[in-house]
Amino acid sequence: MIHSKLHDPDIMVVRPGVDRLTAVNAKAFKEEVAALIDAGASRLVIDFKDTGFLDSSGLGALTGVLKKIGHRGDLVVCGLNPDVSQLFRICRMDRVFSVYADEADAIQALKEKS
Amino acid sequence: MWFVVTCPLEIIVAEDNIIQRTYLTRLIEKLGYTPIPAADGKEALEVLQTSRAQIIISDYQMPHINGIELTRKVRELDLGHYVHIILITGSETDDIRAEALEAGADDFLSKGRDPVALRARIRAATRLINHATELAEQHRILKEANDRINEDLKAAANAQRQLLPDIHKDILGVQIASAFVPSAVVSGDMFGCFELNETKLGFYAVDVSGHGIHASLLSVAIGHLITPEYFSNTVIKGNGPADPAALVEDLNNRFSVSENDDYFTMFCGVLDCETGELDFCQAAYPSPFYVAPDGHSAPVGDGGFPVGMFLGVEYENNQMTFEKGGSLLIYSDAAPEAENAEAVSYGTERLQRLVEQCKDVPTDDMPDMVANVLKKWRAGQALEDDLTVVALKRT
Repeated sequence: MIHSKLHDPDIMVVRPGVDRLTAVNAKAFKEEVAALIDAGASRLVIDFKDTGFLDSSGLGALTGVLKKIGHRGDLVVCGLNPDVSQLFRICRMDRVFSVYADEADAIQALKEKS
Repeated sequence: MWFVVTCPLEIIVAEDNIIQRTYLTRLIEKLGYTPIPAADGKEALEVLQTSRAQIIISDYQMPHINGIELTRKVRELDLGHYVHIILITGSETDDIRAEALEAGADDFLSKGRDPVALRARIRAATRLINHATELAEQHRILKEANDRINEDLKAAANAQRQLLPDIHKDILGVQIASAFVPSAVVSGDMFGCFELNETKLGFYAVDVSGHGIHASLLSVAIGHLITPEYFSNTVIKGNGPADPAALVEDLNNRFSVSENDDYFTMFCGVLDCETGELDFCQAAYPSPFYVAPDGHSAPVGDGGFPVGMFLGVEYENNQMTFEKGGSLLIYSDAAPEAENAEAVSYGTERLQRLVEQCKDVPTDDMPDMVANVLKKWRAGQALEDDLTVVALKRT
């Protein structure tokens, strides 16, 4: 389901590969990203460019992934449409995740951090 | 697993020629089956319906009803089991066999005395019958298990509904009404309201992430935990302002320890029914709409962390004035997220306009009105998530 692409030197960009991240596919999303982390990915960008809607289960899966990375690495998000941005604001997720406009911004920010 | 058919299978022998019929009958008996002789197709049909026979061996050429007509009539019957039909054909051409197959015949035997061929055909039919019996038995066991699970679920749903207050009442001059539509049999939504003391009304709404049994178990646990005593003990601090954030924080401490991704959103409020002062804490639950007596509406609250997601996060108290004649409409996210057939979600803007239209509707009818509008929006499709609508009106 997810699409992942490695950027130099160790930044992985992940797209959920669904227009709606919901109870239907949240578990698969979490498992697939968790597998990437288990395989060594520690700096992740989750790009929601093509995912216009997250329900509560989708948000649960995303925070689950964040907890899995914990202090071992970074997880940032980008490409939030106005609806998803609003959800992030209402749930205060904008204080938990670093949010960037797009993939390029997110990668740039991660590079500067290292 | 192999289910042995304990009593010998019955086989109907439809044959008008008495010599041939007697020969077949004896042969079948020798093979360990119970033959039921029938002198023609009509008789064969009659005994089929009074016996337990699942195999018919029939001659093609018979008076009144021939083998093919018999086959057609058997296929029209609703016996609750399959009947395996073996036709005995003579020197007829392939056309007859083609027509017989079309009519529903399963196998053929050539006329003449060939006990080996007969035995092979009957054994093949027996294998299919045993297989069908085995499948039917497995189906029965699965159906029983499924019925039991569904009954348990219904019992769970009932238990949960009893926990949800059927709110259509008046507490301290505040009219309260609710509507609740679970997406599955059981739901992850929970709400409650209590009289905390002589002047204060406490209320809360909870929406557990996900839905179905898992979410339901957590919501029931929350419903049992939030008793009126627990609510007032955590929220009321002497004569100072109410502290709903303390309740949310306490719940967050209790529910953040689990390893899984479960969490819930919540809106919790304390209304002073004398002054109209409303203290509330919003924990990622959708902002309710406040409709002022003049009909002007506005969303309440600007968000807050969900409960049970991150330990140690802070929750805020907020205040607003709940005027006499004003209403508050609390709704779970199933309302704005409800999609119509064109995948357009109902959205908060439409919802706010709808709530404004509810201004003069009796409080008791407001939640059902919202639920019905959403039902129409869904064009009969069940909601994807549990829907809760609670209306409060200060009189």
